[in-house]
Amino acid sequence: MKKYLSNSYSRHKGKTAALLFVALLSTTAPATLIAAIPHYTKYTQQSITVTGKVTDSKGMAIPGATILEKGTQKGVVSDANGNFKINVAGASSVLVVRFVGYNDTEITVGAQTSITVTLQENVKTLNDVVVVGYGTQKKRDLTGAVGSVNAKDIANQPVPDAGQAIEGKVAGVQVISSGSPGANVAIQIRGVGTINDSSPLLVIDGVPTPSDVNYLNNLNMNDIASIDVLKDASASAIYGSQGANGVVIITTKKGSAGQGRLNFDFNAGVQSVAHTIPLLDAEQFVQLNNEELRNDNRATNPAYANPSSFGKGTNWLDAILRKAPIQSYSLSYSGGSDKSDYYVSIGVLDQDGVVIDSKYRRYNLQFNSNQKVLPWLKTGSNLTLEHDEKPSGGGSISSALAANPAQPIYNPDGSYAGPVGQSQWYGSITNPVGLYNLVQNNTNGYNVLGNIYAEATIIPGLTFRSTPGITATFYDTRTWAPENNLQPSPQAQSYLAESYNKSITWNWDNYLTYDKFFGDDHHLTVLAGTSAESNSFNYISGNITGFASDVTQQLHDGTTQPNIDGDGSQWSLFSLIARANYSYKDRYLLTATVRRDGSSRFGANKKYGTFPSASFAWRISQEPFFQDIHFFDDLKLRAGYGTTGNQNGIGNYTFASALTPAQYVFNGTVVPIEILENAANPALSWETIKQTNIGIDATFLHQRISMSVDGYIKNTTGMLVPTNLPISTGYTSSPPVNAGKVQNKGIEININTHNLTGALQWNTNFNISFNQNKILSLDQNNSLFPAGSSVGLNGYLAINQVGLPVNAFYGYVTQGVFQTQYDVEAHATQVNGNDVYNRTSAGDIRFKDLNGDGVIDANDRTIIGDPNPKGIYAMTNTFAYKGFDLSVALQGVYGNQIYNANNITLESMSGANNQSAYVLSRWEGAGTSNSMPRAIYGDPNENSRISDRYIENGAYMRIKNVAFGYNLPKNVLVHTFIRSARVYLSGQNLYTFTKYTGIDPEVAANGIDENVYPLTRTLSVGLNLGL
Amino acid sequence: MTMKTIKYVAAVFAMIALAGCNKDFLTKAPLDNVNTANFYKTQSDAIAAINAAYQPLQRPKLYNLRMWATDIMAGNSETGGANDGSDGIETIQESNFVTQADNAGVLDLYRGPAPGILQCNIVLQKVPAINMDAAVKTRVLGEAQFLRGLYYFILVRFFGDVPLILTPQEPGSPDIYPTRTPKAQVYTQIITDLTNAMNSLPPASSYTGADIGRASKGAAAGMLAKVYLTLGQYQKCLDLCQQVDGMGYALNADYADNFNPLKKNTVESLFEVQYSGTTTYGFFDDLNQASWVSTFTGPRNQTNFVQGAYGWDLPTQEFIDSYEAGDKRKDETVLYQGCPSFYGNTYNSSYSLTGYNVRKFLVPASISPAYNTNPEDFPVLRYADILLMEAECLNELGQTIAAAAPLNKVRARAGLPNIATGLSQDDFRTAVLHERRMELAFEGQRWFDLIRINNGQYGLDFLHSIGKTNATTKNLLLPIPQLEIDANPNLKQNPGY
Repeated sequence: MKKYLSNSYSRHKGKTAALLFVALLSTTAPATLIAAIPHYTKYTQQSITVTGKVTDSKGMAIPGATILEKGTQKGVVSDANGNFKINVAGASSVLVVRFVGYNDTEITVGAQTSITVTLQENVKTLNDVVVVGYGTQKKRDLTGAVGSVNAKDIANQPVPDAGQAIEGKVAGVQVISSGSPGANVAIQIRGVGTINDSSPLLVIDGVPTPSDVNYLNNLNMNDIASIDVLKDASASAIYGSQGANGVVIITTKKGSAGQGRLNFDFNAGVQSVAHTIPLLDAEQFVQLNNEELRNDNRATNPAYANPSSFGKGTNWLDAILRKAPIQSYSLSYSGGSDKSDYYVSIGVLDQDGVVIDSKYRRYNLQFNSNQKVLPWLKTGSNLTLEHDEKPSGGGSISSALAANPAQPIYNPDGSYAGPVGQSQWYGSITNPVGLYNLVQNNTNGYNVLGNIYAEATIIPGLTFRSTPGITATFYDTRTWAPENNLQPSPQAQSYLAESYNKSITWNWDNYLTYDKFFGDDHHLTVLAGTSAESNSFNYISGNITGFASDVTQQLHDGTTQPNIDGDGSQWSLFSLIARANYSYKDRYLLTATVRRDGSSRFGANKKYGTFPSASFAWRISQEPFFQDIHFFDDLKLRAGYGTTGNQNGIGNYTFASALTPAQYVFNGTVVPIEILENAANPALSWETIKQTNIGIDATFLHQRISMSVDGYIKNTTGMLVPTNLPISTGYTSSPPVNAGKVQNKGIEININTHNLTGALQWNTNFNISFNQNKILSLDQNNSLFPAGSSVGLNGYLAINQVGLPVNAFYGYVTQGVFQTQYDVEAHATQVNGNDVYNRTSAGDIRFKDLNGDGVIDANDRTIIGDPNPKGIYAMTNTFAYKGFDLSVALQGVYGNQIYNANNITLESMSGANNQSAYVLSRWEGAGTSNSMPRAIYGDPNENSRISDRYIENGAYMRIKNVAFGYNLPKNVLVHTFIRSARVYLSGQNLYTFTKYTGIDPEVAANGIDENVYPLTRTLSVGLNLGL
Repeated sequence: MTMKTIKYVAAVFAMIALAGCNKDFLTKAPLDNVNTANFYKTQSDAIAAINAAYQPLQRPKLYNLRMWATDIMAGNSETGGANDGSDGIETIQESNFVTQADNAGVLDLYRGPAPGILQCNIVLQKVPAINMDAAVKTRVLGEAQFLRGLYYFILVRFFGDVPLILTPQEPGSPDIYPTRTPKAQVYTQIITDLTNAMNSLPPASSYTGADIGRASKGAAAGMLAKVYLTLGQYQKCLDLCQQVDGMGYALNADYADNFNPLKKNTVESLFEVQYSGTTTYGFFDDLNQASWVSTFTGPRNQTNFVQGAYGWDLPTQEFIDSYEAGDKRKDETVLYQGCPSFYGNTYNSSYSLTGYNVRKFLVPASISPAYNTNPEDFPVLRYADILLMEAECLNELGQTIAAAAPLNKVRARAGLPNIATGLSQDDFRTAVLHERRMELAFEGQRWFDLIRINNGQYGLDFLHSIGKTNATTKNLLLPIPQLEIDANPNLKQNPGY
């Protein structure tokens, strides 16, 4: 073992990969320690000693293999040279030799005292199949970059959906969840490839799902067999114009031949708030309010004359947050014969939100089956039926953050208290608890995902497969706001709004696959076919007021003039697809794909795009000259290049200029109008992503270590960027133009190690990816300010500029706080004036005069941060001993900044909203603070302007999940009707190491933190039962 | 045929069948709207297009909020509102003259006219080619000229030099990044447009039914008069005012009728922004059809006055003190402790930070049951304004004695005696500007008066006199919004920002 270690040192010298790798290996126990794993020495007189050696099929020693005497608890582990020594009962004893990646081998001792055990590689492991779109491929034959997660990897996490469960499981895949119940996660593969929608295509059981609905949420995690992520262009080009941001392929479970299986999974836990923002208490708020009004020469509240009398007051956040249970139940049965198989399941998830009055309930049914109908015809079907309910209250966390802590929740008479009186003293936030409790929102979702396939064998090797499928999403929303007397905005009449939405996507894939060996050495697979998709979306909505009774909450019962609305849209995609895989002697593997897509989202002349790719892999370990190199079990080099497209986030009709129908009125008579708001871009075309990927897959040390390293360069051309549309054009929305070029380049490393393989098993998965992104060109090389970066600020806080990373933060640079009026006058002019209460004064923020012109103005803005992480990483360690297992998953990012936009309001100190407790360190006189400015009503210096005041380090490392389980021993279960039983404890989001002061450093990809939903920690217990 | 062949043929057929239908399959037009290619073909298209040119006037970026909120900057009132550090902070900053280029109110005022100008430009480009009734076509083009003139008149007074755009622009073409056109040239275009409009438009009296309230000859003449007044061309202004005198306009006997939602397009109204109070669009939506002004200016938290009112626009003590004794407009314009009750509700000075609220626009629940249902029109140009312009011009032209007659008509309705005779030209000017302030209070006129007289020195002196000592010459123009300068590098900022 030590020898191997030194080998590996020298082989990887100088590389980052090697450092990490060494760091990992150096933590693994030396062979002596491995050998010291207890073996049981209660020998009897008759015992005989057997020595031996464990080797692989090439005769290489296998250290760390477990040698057990069957039927006993005696066991030893082979040493660094593969040798072992064990005392067994006698000649009839049977040795069981186990090593990961190899088949278990049993040998009867007989007369032998020295045994060489040759382990055969476990073909199944090596032949792990990966779903690659329109077919599957053996993992070892892959030529592109594909990451895989199987059911086991995501089990036992108390999270409601698969999206949150795959976080940290695949190198280069970033998952961002907002934490609110039922909310979608955002997934990003290999950096921000486009300033537009950069979410990957999600394919479920072969059915591509529309990008506007995230179906990850709608699946029962227990139904998922595998998740494969196609990362590079050669892998994803088969999805053409939908593949640019990568493809996530989910395959649900199927039954296997043999005895049927019944599985029951149960998980129940408690969610609690792990972190939220500390707020001022009543006394501190009252002091602040007095101070900011005094500083602006305004009257203070006479009732606030004695701040200390207010004490703690109301903590509105505590009032709307709670500990909340989450539980899930899943029951499935599966089985099959040589002719057919089935998998059927039912699942229920019931999650209460940590915010009062919010809930998420999901019900799932899954029906999967495959049949061999005729000797030449196979058919099968997958059907997912899902229903979810998301009730929530009408309040908001932001208003709870802003509400006046000096105000009680309830009046003495039990009614909801609210701000009454001057709003510059009392604020004007409607009682958040009242709103949560009174106003009811509900969203109900109904999803159907289904497909049927028929696969006909025309001649041996040639099959035709036809798969019609449907993805149907229905959801309805309802808001009931009863008549109420909540100050300062009582509602005179009850209000009801409902909407019904329907989105239906049909798809139909037809393709021929020809699979043939030519001689022993040449293997060719060719696929050619078509794929068609068509979506139509409709909604209808209405609202009404004037209810005679709050008991009758139906649109029918409103008495005022109702408002109705409804609309529809459609899109379609038609594609020709082709792929060829060729391998020679299993050594040289070639994949070429081409897809031609036609999309209704583009104008007449730009409808079609062609997306080719090619990749090559060389399995060096199969070369004759490599046969003597026993270090590697498998070594493969991959190289690929391909073109994919993106049509996400473009809008269905952006190519056409649209007039908006609306109304005006003359003398009380409503007249219809057609207003020109959106300019057209008939030349609108595909975003094209050209990606080069070079990778290496290696398995060595007898499969102890397997790793993949991929390097990629991803160039997005024709990126759709908004034209710099001046307001003076009069258009409200700007059509994008294909005028940008972004480059992402990076390295991904994925390492799996089996550190200990004896009775105590220890496996580690570590993945890390480094991505760099840069804008190479833009329309007329003008800088662009991305929509959505204005955060309601009347200014953009992000910029897209040539040479910079995507969505870089842009604003003023702060230089501390002016301590004296002399400092103000000595510095460049910020906001001057004769009104001493309304100009830059001591205590205000000093902004840097970047251009040195003596005036602080818009020309003094610059790049102040980068939201794109330099690296994202994750590490999962799993330990197993006897029936016990423990897994610890860590995950993190580094090298990015976060714009803490919540602090714009939480630290403004310019009005009567409550503030974060960080403002306690505010400037209150020379020398009191050089970072937190003074409190002043109206903020004359615009201390809240977009500046690096709100930029924070976004790095974090999180203990994402720790799960500890116990499997009941087989010899106990054998007397029961139970096949397998496992109980476990699991904790999610246990701790986050970070310097970030906001709620949670896991923020949206643009790095702007507007999330106010608290980070939740979940502790749960679970049971998996198999019959 | 063997089974094999059948299967093979079936497979190929299935694939070809799909491939064959793909042309139609991939053609999807918007379901909910028309586009520039298939519209502008008929008379009703032309009318729907010109009607759309009025709509931007309704938006909060113009007459629903920002235009009347300039009275706060002009010192008639304080912002009020939520005072929670977000709502209204831009208006507080404007009124303290610490306005920065990223001010939201300024952005609104710059944004407000732009879609209107585009809509006028598309009408002026497309409608001439439509085969339609000639009189209607002339009227439609006249309406577009009037509205374009009005939109540019708003812009040029707030911002000075602005890009002058007279045809619809195509995104992607370099002409979407214009420089600022000199103010004088913008005014020349405004005068051309309003003159053409005056010649094309029918008199208000010729409109019937759902055409009442469209731009008319009188509206164009009155607006042009105001342009000349702003430019100090008093004779031209006077001529136009006198033309308007002959068009049948008159003062409403009751001052309050100008702000009565049940009395639209009265005899005093030359032009007003019309609202229906329908709630088809969200209250904060650009397409909203309900007037904001009652909800915004009603006493905050006093739901018995106006549903959900925000308590903006609080008159200052100095403004209240400016009323002459016996001015009947006071009771119609402001709420003060001891004022006549508002539909049975007694006002208390504790309802407002200053002790006062604006009353003239308040609409009771009997007319507007909810915060978002107010059908009240907003006055843009009233005959009282014409009379006061006439008085001002006569005085400036040295006919101070003759100037008293139109001024006294306005004063008489307010229950005030005739203006003292024998006033000097300067004193008369002070009197007429005072009258304008009281007559047109909170209608968004005061700011324009402050900045036009004596190159704005009148305004600066006034602002300094009420303690707004931050105001300097630079504040006579608003900054070009930073968003626009970021988007169009060819624009230069106004001096001092």
